[in-house]
Amino acid sequence: MNTEMGIKLGHLQSMLLFALLISIAFGFLSRRRPIDRVKYIVWSLFLFLLIGVGIGWAMYPFSH
Amino acid sequence: MTDETAAPEAPPQDSRRETMAYLIGVAGWIVPGLGHALLKMWGRAAMCFLTVGLLVILGAEMRGNLFNSAANDAFDSLGYLADLGTGTFYLLAKSLETNGADVSHAGGDYGTRFLATAGVLNLLAALHAYEAARGRKA
Repeated sequence: MNTEMGIKLGHLQSMLLFALLISIAFGFLSRRRPIDRVKYIVWSLFLFLLIGVGIGWAMYPFSH
Repeated sequence: MTDETAAPEAPPQDSRRETMAYLIGVAGWIVPGLGHALLKMWGRAAMCFLTVGLLVILGAEMRGNLFNSAANDAFDSLGYLADLGTGTFYLLAKSLETNGADVSHAGGDYGTRFLATAGVLNLLAALHAYEAARGRKA
């Protein structure tokens, strides 16, 4: 991560950060009890990553 | 004979509550998390403020495209609307992005998405605060 000319993140780092922040926000907005929030955040994060990596691999054959 | 087609007049208390809910929704849009803070939902208020703030700071630092009112096409207009969703944080993003956008690399492209998502997320949170203020289950 280089902060001299702005933040430089890789694809995976950016996706992880994005998925984590959105999952936390969704968890807090849609659930009331702390345990439900944690479950929702973990599940949402898992799905974000699964679908993100899945789409990445699905596009792989077209990049050659 | 009574006129059954006329809608019953809303009680003054409901009307006042609706106005307050509207104001809370607008407050939540202008300052992320303020709508929930006014409803004393401290956890949600803090999380809205932090997540929207972080997305805006990261998006601007990654030199994402912050759209302005001089839109060239429909996508630019939609991007501008999404960015405006961050409320006052739009100005923060503008002040952070002193070198302008650079979408020639993946980071800049991600930054554009971060900024737009921050706006849409804040609009969702403001709508949530509005619904909670109206007494809907939240």
